[in-house]
Amino acid sequence: MSPLNWQKELGRDGHRVNFSGQPVAMHCHHYNINLQKTLEDTLGEQGIRLLYRSAEEAIFENFKSLLTQYESIKTEKSKFEMAALMFQNSGMGIIRIQEVGPEGGVVVSPSNHHVTGWLAKHGRRHTPGCHFVRGWIAGILEAIYNRPLGYYRVEEHECKMMRQNECRFVVEERENGDRRK
Amino acid sequence: MAIDGNKIIHAVMEGSRIRESKGIIPLFGVYLSIFSVNYYNKLSYEFERMLDDRKTEAEALLVHAAQECGYATFQGVRNSWEWEEIVKPMIDQKEDQIDGFSAVAVAFGWGDLRVKELIPGKKLVIQASGSYEASGYIDRYQHARSGKCYMLRGVTGALMDLLYGEDYPEGCFTFSAEEPLCRAKGDDYCEFIARQSSD
Repeated sequence: MSPLNWQKELGRDGHRVNFSGQPVAMHCHHYNINLQKTLEDTLGEQGIRLLYRSAEEAIFENFKSLLTQYESIKTEKSKFEMAALMFQNSGMGIIRIQEVGPEGGVVVSPSNHHVTGWLAKHGRRHTPGCHFVRGWIAGILEAIYNRPLGYYRVEEHECKMMRQNECRFVVEERENGDRRK
Repeated sequence: MAIDGNKIIHAVMEGSRIRESKGIIPLFGVYLSIFSVNYYNKLSYEFERMLDDRKTEAEALLVHAAQECGYATFQGVRNSWEWEEIVKPMIDQKEDQIDGFSAVAVAFGWGDLRVKELIPGKKLVIQASGSYEASGYIDRYQHARSGKCYMLRGVTGALMDLLYGEDYPEGCFTFSAEEPLCRAKGDDYCEFIARQSSD
């Protein structure tokens, strides 16, 4: 049985679209990638951090709320499955959260919305570019392991935007003094 | 025939449940994603705050990004098979496309857009009382001194570009839009007015 009832969770209240009661919007790769490029071009590293933190905070709140509603989802494995299903059902792509524990690990994405969008609009990058996905992974794991926002640092070591085979993310705990940077 | 927004909403909601093997939602000619409005609002308003003494530039960049996106997005939308099958049969004249685009925007959860006035080739007025951008700004910062719906403002300009600008892709930014009324600054609804950029 699927751990997440997507049909039930995605709905409308008039003009509003909700996922599990929380407001969401549908946007296409043109907007998502334009926003990313605008922030990167204008603010550089600060813009990248803003993309990461915004994704981290948003998914942290959403997923915590979802875990509260799906009380029967108790094991780490089923929470990972639910997160991956949510990623896929949101049109964000495929993500494999398997080699991860409370102290970190490795997450792999063989395809994702931002890669497809970036390559379609701008072609190959020379630096890793899945900042949204990095923040998303951090927020998901902080929600699953009941850690505060900013607890994990997620770096992308391989990226399909650079025409590598897959996107490979390494998750580590931050040092205390390094949190929220 | 008038545009039936409910048909379009239904098509979007059904289509958004279909994704291909790579976890991508190809719908209305674009790759669609579904994510929290808090993400988009935080990006826009924190970006604006980070630029602080360059707020006008931040606003212009966000509107520019949205207009370019709206232009490409709705070009994809009107060339899609979904548009051909669902929307096109409801279109009697060129101007009806604006109603079709607005209905798609409503279906995407951007707000309850209503076309208030359209003077072909000259002016478009769109109103919305439920823009997620204004709601998000109010939730985060309470009150604004100027319009805060940068995405919808850019999109309003893009719709006119698509109808009355040069053929795609040359017509983007032929029009530009302002937001004289915005719920974030206390107005009852948000209003977007697009006119030719040179006006």
